Amino acid sequence: MKRRSNLPEPRSRMAGRRARSAIAAFALGAVTLGAAGCAAPSPADDENIVLELWDTDTRPARAENLEKLIDMFEAENPNITIEYLGLPTDSYMQKISTAIATNSTPDLLTPKASDIAALVAQEALASLDERFEEGGWGDEIDPSMVESSKAASPDGSLYLTPATSLADVIYYRPDLFEAAGLDAPESWDDFFADAVELTDPATGQFGYTIRGGAGFFSQFVQMVYPQAGIDTFFLEDGTSTLDDPAVVEATQRYVDLYRKATAESDLTADFKVMVAQFGSGSTGMLSHSVGSYPDHVKALGADAVAAVVPFPSEDGEYVLTGRMTTGFAMFEASEHQDAAWKFLEFTMSEEGNSFWAEASGYIPGNLAVQSEPWVAENPAIAVAAEAGSSPDATVLQQPFHLPEFNSITSTDMLPQWQAVLQGDLSVEDFLGDAAEALTDAQQRYLASQ
Amino acid sequence: MTSSILTRSPLSEAPTRRRAPATRWYPYLLIAPAALLVLVFLVYPVGSVFYYSLQHYNITQPWADGFAGLDNFIAMGQDPLFWRSLVFTGQWVLVEVALQFVLGLGLALLINQTFVGRAVVRSLVFSPWAVSGILTTTIWILIYNPSTGVGRYLAEVGLVPFGTSLLSGAGTTFWAVILAELWKGAPFFAILILADLQSVRTELYEAAEVDGAGRIRKFASITWPHIRSAVVIATLLRAVWEFNNVDLLYTLTGGGPAGSTTTLPLYVAQTAIHDRDFGYGSALTVVAFIILTVFSVVYLRVNRFGRDDA
Repeated sequence: MKRRSNLPEPRSRMAGRRARSAIAAFALGAVTLGAAGCAAPSPADDENIVLELWDTDTRPARAENLEKLIDMFEAENPNITIEYLGLPTDSYMQKISTAIATNSTPDLLTPKASDIAALVAQEALASLDERFEEGGWGDEIDPSMVESSKAASPDGSLYLTPATSLADVIYYRPDLFEAAGLDAPESWDDFFADAVELTDPATGQFGYTIRGGAGFFSQFVQMVYPQAGIDTFFLEDGTSTLDDPAVVEATQRYVDLYRKATAESDLTADFKVMVAQFGSGSTGMLSHSVGSYPDHVKALGADAVAAVVPFPSEDGEYVLTGRMTTGFAMFEASEHQDAAWKFLEFTMSEEGNSFWAEASGYIPGNLAVQSEPWVAENPAIAVAAEAGSSPDATVLQQPFHLPEFNSITSTDMLPQWQAVLQGDLSVEDFLGDAAEALTDAQQRYLASQ
Repeated sequence: MTSSILTRSPLSEAPTRRRAPATRWYPYLLIAPAALLVLVFLVYPVGSVFYYSLQHYNITQPWADGFAGLDNFIAMGQDPLFWRSLVFTGQWVLVEVALQFVLGLGLALLINQTFVGRAVVRSLVFSPWAVSGILTTTIWILIYNPSTGVGRYLAEVGLVPFGTSLLSGAGTTFWAVILAELWKGAPFFAILILADLQSVRTELYEAAEVDGAGRIRKFASITWPHIRSAVVIATLLRAVWEFNNVDLLYTLTGGGPAGSTTTLPLYVAQTAIHDRDFGYGSALTVVAFIILTVFSVVYLRVNRFGRDDA
């Protein structure tokens, strides 16, 4: 696509850039604040410490749960206070980037796995490997989540605590299926047939909601790669599998659902619109992560929501998607890293992990918590956990380690994806362009290792 | 004699007084705060954008940062998203400003008449301009919502299928966003033109009527020459504002579908803020800056703005 590509260069340039950033930050600080800040000395262990936590999601229910988690932690650590700040989901990186440039980062953050590469590139996050090992957390936490968390960083280190994880599922409405005389889908053929069967444009009833707007790539991957039976984004030489014939075929089948089993307005539907449509009762099926299960239950009631994991491919390959760690991180510039680590440990501990995962609808990372009754009682998590334990299943890791990943899959691919849905661009051309961009990025990454 | 008078005027005979060194700096001290503000808030930001336009500066790839020369501008020439956003920006500004002007002029002429309830009507006409940008988009998102807005009502009477959104249809998106911005922008023209209309002397119209002039002749010979300067400056301001429009388009369509409503400034926002590629984003901004500067100068010259015969 459009922009130039450079291989990594010596850090001397980075030093120059950082020096200029520091000068700019000082100037900005002097103008806007009128006074320079004073570095505080490291506090003693019993000194009162105030930590600042920025959350990258402002949904009220999440904010409430996070504040409860903070209260639980503060009750056990009376000398540590955590100040919470919620940042809008669609613009939080802007504020974080500004904070990094002006050396005003908080202590703690809830980055998404897809943000890690960009934050590590700016040397903003503190590596957690040593503390994680010293704390003995390797025995307490699900190894697949540790692996997934490390895979999201460009240098393979741990920056995001493997506290919880998402997993992709397909939600469906048992009541609508029953009314239509359909059984729960058990294969891709079932899914596509049911989506059409449940659709009745005359009454505004649709079998499925396709994500045509912001963030489309997650649902696209969830519905295409398992269908194609391909469990990797790149071949060993860095070539993208995005234009593999099996992926092209699966994508075409998925695209063909648009307007046939979905609303026309899905062309611009984002996460909130999709979840609202499913919650309003006008949609039979929805592809999303386990994390939205509490929202669906709140909107429809527990009896009206069920979930299945995306199905094996025709040739029996069982590819699992969306296994993305959703944890906490701390900034390198934090003056209270010991206290911040205490909080990170709390989110991985049985008490904190159990509360946070259950309240948020996440898969818990703590192995002991995974055995708690509530995990089996949450149908979305239960089916995801069952699939994850299948010996035939392979987890597809998205290439979050690539700094270009976000710009390629959103700024570049989103307009083209909508053109595909509108019938103005062929699936082959769409995937061919995207595969070329991802291949370039991956091969640059491999060359720099 | 004359020259003697001139050279010996009281002024020229006045003793030459040298300012004390301390007072010589007074003027500079007095303008220093304003000059500092201009430097800090205008010269520095604009200069930094020009500087970064010549750099590779992507904060997610710091190892690749460095002097780029004209690379960013060359990349722009091969960037289909840039060209598409530029073309859309031209269409957006042209159609939006033209419609706002026609509607604003019509409203101004209407509410300049004397009728019962004029004050209330004027308030209603001006109210969209007072509404914040984010509230405007919220109102129009609700109007265009396929489940609760106009799309549902159209579907219920059978005019469109259920699930239709005017913001996602191939032929409707452009006009849907045009309408939303027109609702907010037309009152601006109405306000400026009405203010000018109220200063036209009624004797001129009375004299024209005595001479047998009709409505069109009175408008062409009296009203239009009077409001022409206001119209020129209002269209220029609106053109610049519409060119720079980000809030309404970002929140209403996000630049979609398929990039069909992405203006150049919105593309700058996506590149610099979302992708964090400040080098390329700065180069895009420099091009936008040059386009606006050239347009403003040419537009004012063509319209002979500020000249006595204008």
